Amino acid sequence: MNMFIHEMKAYRKSTIIWTCSLVGIIVLFLSIYPSFAKEADVFKELMEGFPEPVRKAFGLSVDSMSSMVGFYSYTFLYITLCGAIQAMNLGTSILSKEVREKTADFLLTKPVTRSQIITSKLLAALTSLVITNIVYLTVASFMASAVKVEDYSYKIFFMVSITLFFVQLIFLALGVIVSVLSRKIKSVLPISLGTVFGFFIAGMLASIIGDEAVRYITPFKYFDTNYIIKNSSYEARFIILEVVFIVVAITASYYVYCKKDIHAV
Amino acid sequence: MNVIEIKNLTKSYGKARGIIDVSFNVEEGEIFGFIGPNGAGKSTTIRTLLSLIYPTSGSATIFGKDCVEFGPEIKKEIGYLPSEVFYYDNMKVIDLLKYSASFYKKDCSKRIKELAEIMDLDLNKKIDDLSFGNKKKVGIVQGLLHEPKLIILDEPTSGLDPLMQQKFFDLLEQENKKGATILLSSHILGEVQRLCNRVAIIKEGKIIKVEKISTLQENNHKKFKIEVKSKIEDNYFNISGVSALEINDNIISFLFRGDINLIMKKISEIQIANLWIEEPDLEEIFMHYYEKED
Amino acid sequence: MNIFMVEMKAHRKSLIIWAFSILFMVGAGMGKYAGLSSGGQSMTDLLAQMPKSMQAVMGIGTFDLSKASGFYGMIFFYLVLMAAVHAVMLGADIISKEERDKTVEFLLVKPISRNKVITSKLLAGLVNIIIFNIITLVSSIIIVGKLGKGESVGGDIVILMVGMFILQILFMVIGTAIAAVVKNPKAATGIGTAVLLISFIMSVAIDINSKIEGLKYITLFKYYEAKNLMSEVGFQLSYVILSVIIIAAMIKITYVFYKKRDMSI
Repeated sequence: MNMFIHEMKAYRKSTIIWTCSLVGIIVLFLSIYPSFAKEADVFKELMEGFPEPVRKAFGLSVDSMSSMVGFYSYTFLYITLCGAIQAMNLGTSILSKEVREKTADFLLTKPVTRSQIITSKLLAALTSLVITNIVYLTVASFMASAVKVEDYSYKIFFMVSITLFFVQLIFLALGVIVSVLSRKIKSVLPISLGTVFGFFIAGMLASIIGDEAVRYITPFKYFDTNYIIKNSSYEARFIILEVVFIVVAITASYYVYCKKDIHAV
Repeated sequence: MNVIEIKNLTKSYGKARGIIDVSFNVEEGEIFGFIGPNGAGKSTTIRTLLSLIYPTSGSATIFGKDCVEFGPEIKKEIGYLPSEVFYYDNMKVIDLLKYSASFYKKDCSKRIKELAEIMDLDLNKKIDDLSFGNKKKVGIVQGLLHEPKLIILDEPTSGLDPLMQQKFFDLLEQENKKGATILLSSHILGEVQRLCNRVAIIKEGKIIKVEKISTLQENNHKKFKIEVKSKIEDNYFNISGVSALEINDNIISFLFRGDINLIMKKISEIQIANLWIEEPDLEEIFMHYYEKED
Repeated sequence: MNIFMVEMKAHRKSLIIWAFSILFMVGAGMGKYAGLSSGGQSMTDLLAQMPKSMQAVMGIGTFDLSKASGFYGMIFFYLVLMAAVHAVMLGADIISKEERDKTVEFLLVKPISRNKVITSKLLAGLVNIIIFNIITLVSSIIIVGKLGKGESVGGDIVILMVGMFILQILFMVIGTAIAAVVKNPKAATGIGTAVLLISFIMSVAIDINSKIEGLKYITLFKYYEAKNLMSEVGFQLSYVILSVIIIAAMIKITYVFYKKRDMSI
């Protein structure tokens, strides 16, 4: 319990900064929505005149694009980007910081098992992410209802919003396994940024090109908002993929961390 | 000639006290000790000399040139061993030493080999893989390989085994004989006692004394311990100059300062079984300074 | 010269990883282009008539996706993003690493002025960026040449790479300036990330809502956009001048602050 509290305190400032950032971004984007909606109406009429296959080639349904949920889904992509960086950063640093900040000699000689250490740190990271998500969801919901042009399904809005948490979980697990496999990580941010942006760009290219295969590689595409909007549910195979990945990554992390030599300096 | 001249050097970290009005000089060819309790300001003073941090007020010159303004120039002839040694990842010892040498525009390869042999340092090992003490050795070689005129050492022997400490002292004395000036900060009083000619004592950011080691010892009490054959009266040794008189059965011990003939007379007039006379440990002298409120 | 060599060696591994990532991105992106068949003309017409905000939402912009140059222009945005992440992290890292790794007491006690240290590091950073740029340039020309269906894109690519190069320098020196001013090495990379993310999000926001277009002067990504560079607009003088001013200012800040402040040990 003491380690959990210690970790929470250690990440407090960073969690606050990330939460405020996410909130700031969504407020910014949603405040643009009203003017966007107006422009879109004009275009929708235009789109009607084009053949179905062409419209399909973009992998989106134009109606949803200009609706609250559709617009939200698009901007939500950037929220997920930042949230993923936060999560990956957390994951990559929680274990490696004991070596990086030379506190390994302190913590790992206390009467606690390495498993307990990992568990406390993971729980603290998880809690930080949960807090971020709760605050974000609250503000986003409020903002959405404030700028809406017409009624929308809150259920869909909610389902889209919590995919932030799902994506973050994946990057958290990814960060942990990466940190456990490295001997010493001197600076966490370059790794997180590079990895997350890499996956993000892969996801962007995939959606423009409409490639199904790439979807499996990049967590940003596990939760296709169009699918959610249409079917009010998630695609089962990706949920399974996510769970499997997280379980494997975390289990492997426990195993490796408990077995490996920790170099104090 | 003074190699180092420090005048009223003050450094404050915001509101926190660093060093206040520190002044002392180090003469050419000296081995100068710099001692004080933890947090007294030894490292702060040294780092200011090396322009790692900048003084709030006051000045310091080395070789007659201001430490900040002429930093790069005077550092050509300075070798520094920090208290904690950190180097770059994935470098072998020899790589780091060569890198260090490349700053001095001298060919140091012979000297590197000599020093490594004396300190028993494996040049081909990766620094990451070395123990703390061995990393210290790298620091020592790194500080000396360019044969500098001024050697500054911050807690140099922490981490070294006694044999290595010995070799290190020998090395320092050799360099000193060749003309190098040495500034040594430590709180291992034994090594200060052994190596240094003069010493400055710093406490809570201020210099409380600058003195020759020999003077410090002279001006202090000698320790006497006498085993008497038969009991003598309690006040026998209670003369002026005696302090801390203790009588335990047949063992009388005290500290004496003054004309030694007086106390010798008193001893010669009684029957004794055994006699011990000791120079005070520098430890005891310094503890006095460490503790005393001036 | 010796510091320069050591820095180059230290960044070698990271540069190789980034180079491969860029190569992969160009390859994968253009590979998709080659596979893209239908749509063709009607797609282009559709896109042209879409409101700008919608284009932004689709992530397409005013590109003719049926042409290799247009497609590449779209990918360019993401290449620049990667290059910017690389550059800002490089800049912040190369200056703050001495304090972070505590090698300050080794390097800054050598007979070398702090200015010289900065110069060597800036040069090493610059060379890294040039290598990154050249690899992107060469791989782009080769891959687009091969898959571009005979289109001549060389000239366009070169122009785009020049724009990217200026952006890379901009982000790198912003990174070095932040690291020179800020004493805490961790904060340096953090602030660099914030600058990057804000720039990125702003550029997206501006695309969606032309009303805030005035903000483009503080959004670095807008200085050199493919759609401008490849059209008759070319390089806009105001942006180029602004870039030069910012670069000069950041470099000056790097030198001045690093020289003046205490090293954090």
